[in-house]
Amino acid sequence: MADFFSSMRVSASGLDAQMKRMNTISSNIANAESQGYKRKDVEMTATPDRESFGDILQNKVDENTQGVLVTDIREDSKPQRLVYKPDDPNANPDGYIEMPNVNPVQEMANMISAQRSYEANVTAISAATQMANKAIELGR
Amino acid sequence: MKSFFDPTIRALNQNLNLREENQNIISGNIANADTPGYKAKTANFEQAMRDALDLSENVKLETSDHEHFGSKGAEAVQADIYDDPNGVESLDGNTVDRAAEMAKMKENQVLYNASIEALRKKIGMLEYGVSEGGGNK
Repeated sequence: MADFFSSMRVSASGLDAQMKRMNTISSNIANAESQGYKRKDVEMTATPDRESFGDILQNKVDENTQGVLVTDIREDSKPQRLVYKPDDPNANPDGYIEMPNVNPVQEMANMISAQRSYEANVTAISAATQMANKAIELGR
Repeated sequence: MKSFFDPTIRALNQNLNLREENQNIISGNIANADTPGYKAKTANFEQAMRDALDLSENVKLETSDHEHFGSKGAEAVQADIYDDPNGVESLDGNTVDRAAEMAKMKENQVLYNASIEALRKKIGMLEYGVSEGGGNK
């Protein structure tokens, strides 16, 4: 059933997904110099909004209103950054150590993107709330 | 069917339902602004609503049988939901334009509020009528 709660649930799923994305970005930045760490990225998938398990059983799921779900947190397959540090105990025979494949500039850009998306979802929730309140005022 | 509520009220009611649905679609687009492969959806009902409210005789479909396709009035208008054909695909296959969605959402919100105001006026007139012009004193 289409109602404003559906819109709010969808926006809330967006907030949740952006929050998880923000967490992985923070983790990437914090570990930019941690040996053995690999850059992580969230995998987002669109998922139909569902109110309850009963709705799914009755196939009452609205395919057009889609929320978002973080389905996986993957490791970036880009090769690790090799740094010449022959004194390091973990250095390979050639004197190189593997540093994380994290690019701080890219993480900063992703962080801004996550922040903007988060704000957009908050605005969507405020809009739905305002419209619902307006409808309630009809009865006053 | 004769109803206490006139066609204007029923049209406004359906308009509110459609705007609510549109809000859901737009929220879905905004939530999926970063989902790879997601295609922005658009709900189209404004032209259908306009056609249904057009009262000039030359556009009305005459029906001789109740099963014929005809004009059922504004309350039968349904939103046509499809993937936005104007969406520009980014590298990950996503077609959501965040700024455009925010603008669409605001427009939808303003028009929803406008319909509510119109409905409030109509209900106010009905109230004036049922209270014999006295109002609830």
